[in-house]
Amino acid sequence: MTYLFIIIYAISLIYFAFEERAKKFVWLLVIQGLILFGMAFFSLKEIEFFDFIFILTETVVVKSIVVPWFLNRVRRHNGLKRVYEPSMPIFYSVIIVMLGLIISFVLSNTILDNKLHTQFFTVAFASIIYGLYFIIIHKNIFSHVVGYLIIENGIFMLSLAVGSTIPLLINLAVLLDVVMGILVLGIFMNRVGDTFQTDEVNQLTELKD
Amino acid sequence: MTIIILQIIIILTIVLFILPKQHQNNISLLLQLGIIGITSFWAIKAFTTSNILEFPFINLLGHSVSIKIDKLSAFFIFVINLTSLTGLIYAKGYLKPYLQKKNATEIAFHYFNFLWLHISMLLVVMIRDALAFLIVWEIMSLVSFFLVIFESEKKETVKIGLKYLIQMHIGVVFLMIAFIIACVQTGAAFSFDGLSIYFASHNPFPIFLLFFIGFGIKAGFIPLHSWLPHAHPAAPSHVSGVMSGVMIKMGIYGILRVLSYIHEDLFGIGVFILVISLVSGIIGVSLAIVQHDVKKLLAYHSIENIGIIGIGIGLGVIGLAENMPVLAVLGFGGGILHILNHSLFKSLLFYTAGSVYKQTHTRNIEQLGGLIKKMPKTALFFLLGALAISGLPPFNGFVSEFLIYSGMFKSLHAGSLLTDIVLLFSFSGLAIIGGLAIFCFTKVFSIVFLGTGRSDKTKNVTEVEPVMIIPDFIIGFFILLIGMGSFLIVQPLMNVVAIFTENASILSEMTSVLNKISLSSGIFILIIGIIWLLRAWQQKRHQVLENSTWGCGYTGANPALHQYTATSYADNFVQLSSKVTNVKKEFQEFDVDEIFPKERSFETHSSDVFEDNLVTKPTNETISFLEKIAVFQTGKIQDYLLYALVFVIVISLLTYFNLL
Amino acid sequence: MISLLLILVSALFFVGIITKIKAKIAARKMPSILQPIYDVIRLFKKGAIYSSTTSLIFKIAPIVYFSSVLLAVFFIPFGGEAGLLSFHGDFVFFAYLLAIGKFMMIIAAMDTGSGFEGMGANREALYSMLVEPAFFILTASVALFTNNISFHELFAHFHIGSNLSYAISIASIYVLVYIAMVENSRMPVDDPKTHLELTMVHEVMVLDNSGFDLALIHIATWLKFAIYGSLISDFIIKSTWNLYEQIAVYLGVQIAFACLVGILEAFNARNKMNKNPQWIIVLSALAVVVFLTTLIITQKIILN
Repeated sequence: MTYLFIIIYAISLIYFAFEERAKKFVWLLVIQGLILFGMAFFSLKEIEFFDFIFILTETVVVKSIVVPWFLNRVRRHNGLKRVYEPSMPIFYSVIIVMLGLIISFVLSNTILDNKLHTQFFTVAFASIIYGLYFIIIHKNIFSHVVGYLIIENGIFMLSLAVGSTIPLLINLAVLLDVVMGILVLGIFMNRVGDTFQTDEVNQLTELKD
Repeated sequence: MTIIILQIIIILTIVLFILPKQHQNNISLLLQLGIIGITSFWAIKAFTTSNILEFPFINLLGHSVSIKIDKLSAFFIFVINLTSLTGLIYAKGYLKPYLQKKNATEIAFHYFNFLWLHISMLLVVMIRDALAFLIVWEIMSLVSFFLVIFESEKKETVKIGLKYLIQMHIGVVFLMIAFIIACVQTGAAFSFDGLSIYFASHNPFPIFLLFFIGFGIKAGFIPLHSWLPHAHPAAPSHVSGVMSGVMIKMGIYGILRVLSYIHEDLFGIGVFILVISLVSGIIGVSLAIVQHDVKKLLAYHSIENIGIIGIGIGLGVIGLAENMPVLAVLGFGGGILHILNHSLFKSLLFYTAGSVYKQTHTRNIEQLGGLIKKMPKTALFFLLGALAISGLPPFNGFVSEFLIYSGMFKSLHAGSLLTDIVLLFSFSGLAIIGGLAIFCFTKVFSIVFLGTGRSDKTKNVTEVEPVMIIPDFIIGFFILLIGMGSFLIVQPLMNVVAIFTENASILSEMTSVLNKISLSSGIFILIIGIIWLLRAWQQKRHQVLENSTWGCGYTGANPALHQYTATSYADNFVQLSSKVTNVKKEFQEFDVDEIFPKERSFETHSSDVFEDNLVTKPTNETISFLEKIAVFQTGKIQDYLLYALVFVIVISLLTYFNLL
Repeated sequence: MISLLLILVSALFFVGIITKIKAKIAARKMPSILQPIYDVIRLFKKGAIYSSTTSLIFKIAPIVYFSSVLLAVFFIPFGGEAGLLSFHGDFVFFAYLLAIGKFMMIIAAMDTGSGFEGMGANREALYSMLVEPAFFILTASVALFTNNISFHELFAHFHIGSNLSYAISIASIYVLVYIAMVENSRMPVDDPKTHLELTMVHEVMVLDNSGFDLALIHIATWLKFAIYGSLISDFIIKSTWNLYEQIAVYLGVQIAFACLVGILEAFNARNKMNKNPQWIIVLSALAVVVFLTTLIITQKIILN
């Protein structure tokens, strides 16, 4: 059953490459959060009940509700643009995400370890590489935050892969999300529009008062 | 015995120089028919018997050089003969306007070179001894150089011919190095057969790479292709047809011959060939789409089709490496059949394009249009060539691509993970190449032949004389034969593929499939006929009128201004592939306060990315570097004596101080 | 034989159902479901006007286009039975047969020498080129799954075992629906109801056709829809059911497909014209994901 969610996650990565509107990015993050909830539900049957409930609620609450809500608030509060055009044409980005998926699926075939759940490695690699690529091609800070969140989702899946042996790792991954949501988004982003009048990364390279 | 007749005919080619202009074509046709007769006789004998035909040819520097014809050589002999024959028949009509401009010696030299091109290509596929092979290869390049610069009164043509000659020589250097290394390291005979001993004991990839570069320059794989798009438009059309149809296949012949001796470590070689072929195919056709010179466009299409042949061969090698006989047999079969198919439809396209050039005196498609009403037969054959080259049923291009696709799909289940990913890229690549070819040829055919004329060049055009249409008929017949009767080629193809793999009998399983394809194509034509008759019956009972094209209420302007140009047709593709096609637009902007704008000009040009970076840039930088050194060449004898004196002093000082 | 009859029957009603659904959603008065048939009969009773700029190509192209689509119908299987024609690798022949129809329509459009039709022609050429890989990758996935390479055998042996093959079926049906929308020039690639020639793709190519030719082109459009609906139903129908169940499910799937197309058309806006290529290439990317899933199912990618 987790395979199903892995495939849907891969499809969501493709749609990330295809979209260019800020609202759609946030929606896709919500959907990815729900997918991760499904993954966690179906694959972590072996750990303690309390940990299990904590991880599930965290996935849904932080990934699908809190962080997107923060992002939307930042977007409206700072009057950010509706459409963020990447510097690489979308046609090539879709082809690159396709190649990335193929490479990560083939690579995860070479991992031969029985104790890990290698099924997660496939989209986890793809997610991390695609998140980095996303940050490279977009030039504004909102998209950089979205890219970082994609990388985080990938790391969360990697932690699920070792989840049956070290449940603590998943809790740490969860806490990473909380740090992201509250510290970075809540404090930093809210002040971006107020202090600097722009969200272009090139003009944010000099952080003076 | 027959060998003596061949030698006599080869010597008789000198006779051309003493003949008057009118008879030269007929006599060369006679000589060529003699050569074709003898070599085809040998080829048929080689196909029907099971061992290799071998007999001594000439004595070269002491040891005797023999002709060895196996099934692969026999196949190539047929391909070469067919296209060269149609080329010579076409040349009779094409060279008519040149008969006044050039004197008898020049025309005789041209026919002499044409015959020698044919002869040298035949010898290339029949000789195994390395020194003789390289000599004949050189003769082929030299002779084709003279053919390319036929219109030597144009300075550009001579420059292009020289570039072509230089690149061919670079290729020969690579071949020589490869042969020398292989034969010196093992002490084997200096011939192709000696290679088998080398490959059995050493890693085949480095030497294969050297051979691939040498033969690939001739074949036109990207990035070794920069001579192709210049040489083919510069040459006269019958020469372009023969060069594009068979001469570049000599490179493929060389690669196939070298491959037949390699039996180990094939997976890397297969993937290498496949990757280069996919790149050649896709980039070749992308560059073809943005050209507006019709022969340059056809030259880039040759690069694409060489890519398709390479895809077939690469898949065949991968099939051998991974022990998947279906992939091996069908890959090689499809690739080798495509060699024959491509020589047919590419030469047809070059001949019809040449007919258009002869009547309109321009190769720029932006100035043509509406020619189907004035040159209907030429247009029909160009359409046939365009449908065949796009790989559409019921013509021959579809059969070879179908064989390659069948091989790929049949081996999906049996292959390993890596093979399946390679196959994924291959069939997606082949599908994209097919789609792009359709895009390109709808553009060329519609801009050249359909719509209304875009300039004065199309005003007084008439159909070409019948002798130029005869080769079109011959080639069209073969295209339809292979397309509709594809089961006929299974048996000969099986014999050729058997050189590479023992399981060639798998091809005979395809006979029933090919029969069904022919049946479906027949039903297709039947349905077309029935509906045509139905429509004729319906339209007889109703009114059929003729009027002008709907112009959205505005029919006042010249209709030619309203239609699409080639650049606009290609434009939405250029937006996707701008990095590869490198299209530059030159125009002058309007001033802010220019209320009534004056006439402006707009030009788009595409330059070849590979040529710019691999050929033009290094040569320009080398030339500028050498110009700095050229300061020393003052031309005055006093300076040279000064250099000599300085040299003597330096040598004596070094000797004195014991440093030398 | 049954397959041919079923496709012809569903083709007659397909476009009518789409129009009815769209009208219902937009709260407009609905035309009858048989309206397209009445239109075609009216066209058959008319003569034709040919443009003086055109040549023989313009007269023969609609016939070749229609014949190619009609021949393509012969290949589609139904239930466990093959179509009238079936051989190994016939889906390659199917794809290229549709391509020759498109080739002739494109050059017929350019034959009229009108800028509008040239616009439609080059858009049609580009979009059909971009959608080819998606179709091939999809059939390759099913071929990999079932180890067969003719339409008939592909679907006869396609049985849904694990959850993942459900995922493949659903993803394949999703991609097939959108491939059908692109090939028939529907939303979001092309709006069939637009009257602005500058925004048309397929409708503007047939601007100068009339009478018998235009009727042939309409019927070919219906047949193409029915073909893709048939392919979708082949994913769902199992060969173990009896004939009446299969026919009932088939008709249900065709009606559902028509309603789905209507709903998608009513609620989607047309893409910006220069965003179309990237939208179409997403279909190929989805097909690649289906292929990778098949690799997992067939145990070539070993995961645990």
